[in-house]
Amino acid sequence: MWQYTAAAVVGVVGVVLLEVRVLRTGLLRTRAYWIALGICYAFMIAVNGWLTKLTAPIVLYDPDATTGWRVPWDIPVEDYLFGFALLTLAMLLWDAAGPKRRDVRAMDPAEVTVSSPARET
Amino acid sequence: MAAVDRYQYLLLMAGCVVVTLPLEFAFGARVWRQPRRLLFALVPTVIVFALWDIAAIAREQWSFNAHYVTGRELPGNLPVEELAFFVVIPICGLLTLEAVRRILDRAR
Repeated sequence: MWQYTAAAVVGVVGVVLLEVRVLRTGLLRTRAYWIALGICYAFMIAVNGWLTKLTAPIVLYDPDATTGWRVPWDIPVEDYLFGFALLTLAMLLWDAAGPKRRDVRAMDPAEVTVSSPARET
Repeated sequence: MAAVDRYQYLLLMAGCVVVTLPLEFAFGARVWRQPRRLLFALVPTVIVFALWDIAAIAREQWSFNAHYVTGRELPGNLPVEELAFFVVIPICGLLTLEAVRRILDRAR
């Protein structure tokens, strides 16, 4: 049971570890990232809501593979973790392939003492 | 059941591309205009999530409603719609990130 739930948590942890251990782009410490993620989630609720609505679902989930928690409407909570991993992986690789950004550098070593990405908002 | 219903998932993805296109041009996001960098971000992402999807489909963790997909599948029973999802949604995310950066840069 909860196989999708477990895989989604592993996906999130994997992406965060990739950033912390390997890529070190600093993306998760930028305000732009968290604002963009919030906007993406707002649109994701519309798109995902359409895909998963139980009245005419496009994607069907095995009830045993998820927690069964669906918020709002019929969106499985696991999809938010899946979406985080998908969006964040692409953004991390995008930044890794691009020029180092000023807003990242400005927050880099000395000024940042907390490693928790959620603190910087 | 109208024939167009089988394109519902694909049309939803097309809609995401159209809706986010102004971010590239009106907000100066410059994602589509950096194709090499975009490929660098997309190729590993698409591979990882396609493999995840194939594994989850094989284990029947999720499935797709035949009414709303074309039925065209890639190896591993991966619907073409899912491949489209893994290409389109990250592009939408990158456009959003770059547009937010342009706006924050301007406000600076």
